[in-house]
Amino acid sequence: MYYMKYYSHTYKFPAQQIRCGGGHHKEMFITPSRFQWNKCKDMVHYYVFLGVIPLSLITFFVNIYVGPATLTPIPENYKPKYWEYYRHPVTRFISRYIMPNPQMEYERHMNVLHEEEERRQLYLLEKKVKQLMAERSDYQAYYYSPNTAIKYYRKMKEVKKEENDRQGDNL
Amino acid sequence: MGDKQTPRKLFDGFINAAVSIIDSPVTWFRERVVTPNRESYPWYHQKFRRVPTIDECYTDDVICFYEANSQFKRDKAVDSEILAILRIRMEDCNMFHGPDAVAKCKSLVETYKEAEGNWFCKYGDLGFHGNVKDAYMKQKHRMVWERRHGPVGSGMRDAAAAAGDE
Repeated sequence: MYYMKYYSHTYKFPAQQIRCGGGHHKEMFITPSRFQWNKCKDMVHYYVFLGVIPLSLITFFVNIYVGPATLTPIPENYKPKYWEYYRHPVTRFISRYIMPNPQMEYERHMNVLHEEEERRQLYLLEKKVKQLMAERSDYQAYYYSPNTAIKYYRKMKEVKKEENDRQGDNL
Repeated sequence: MGDKQTPRKLFDGFINAAVSIIDSPVTWFRERVVTPNRESYPWYHQKFRRVPTIDECYTDDVICFYEANSQFKRDKAVDSEILAILRIRMEDCNMFHGPDAVAKCKSLVETYKEAEGNWFCKYGDLGFHGNVKDAYMKQKHRMVWERRHGPVGSGMRDAAAAAGDE
């Protein structure tokens, strides 16, 4: 056994010695922990065999057999696709298959801004209406208190306004 | 140099041999393995249309503001690159000529200084969150200041003189 060389003695349970009586004893081998070593091997296997080697192979063969693009002026009457604005083939791949079209995202964002702005204008309008209702107390909605004296209040408001107009402010 | 049988030819030969220890395998690999297996394909430089600037937008037009701001950021990136190129030219000239640079690099230095001043005029001091509206207001404030006190750099006049001239 490979661990024998690290730990030469083993611990024998006295109870089982009595019970077995001449047969083979169950022995518990006390060894130092192999956790760090096993974990280290796991990590090396993971990062090298699934990370370093595949990515290196991909990088090597893409750079050699596909290669970066050459900068050319845009031909007449041709609209390049959105991934054709990048140089390296991996960047073009990511742009084409993983990332969304930047122009589409730009226009979608503008649509969102427009909708939010419309909602905001409606909210501001509602707020102004509520504020006027609070000031004037003349509408049967927010701040309504069923006040039968309101007709007298309105009459007095007209009377006072007419007096104020007649007399002026410089009393 | 066939007729130069002096050590210079040997020295050149030696240097060429020393460099080609590294250079020739790389060049061989490139020419024999890499280049024949690649097909050339194009990539393009994206051209954006000009959209209305911030001074042509209504105050409550969010979309117009967003497009003007995007254009502003693109223009800022382009102008920063242009400024970097001018700066590289000036610094290369200064480094190459050393003590003579004061006389020999004058035009490049002047061009760069003017471009730097203009860049700061438009984009400087706006902070990280500076947008196109801030730049527009900065321009407005500068024009008002110039109307009151004269060109930037000529000092402030006192309040009476400024008000009298306005």
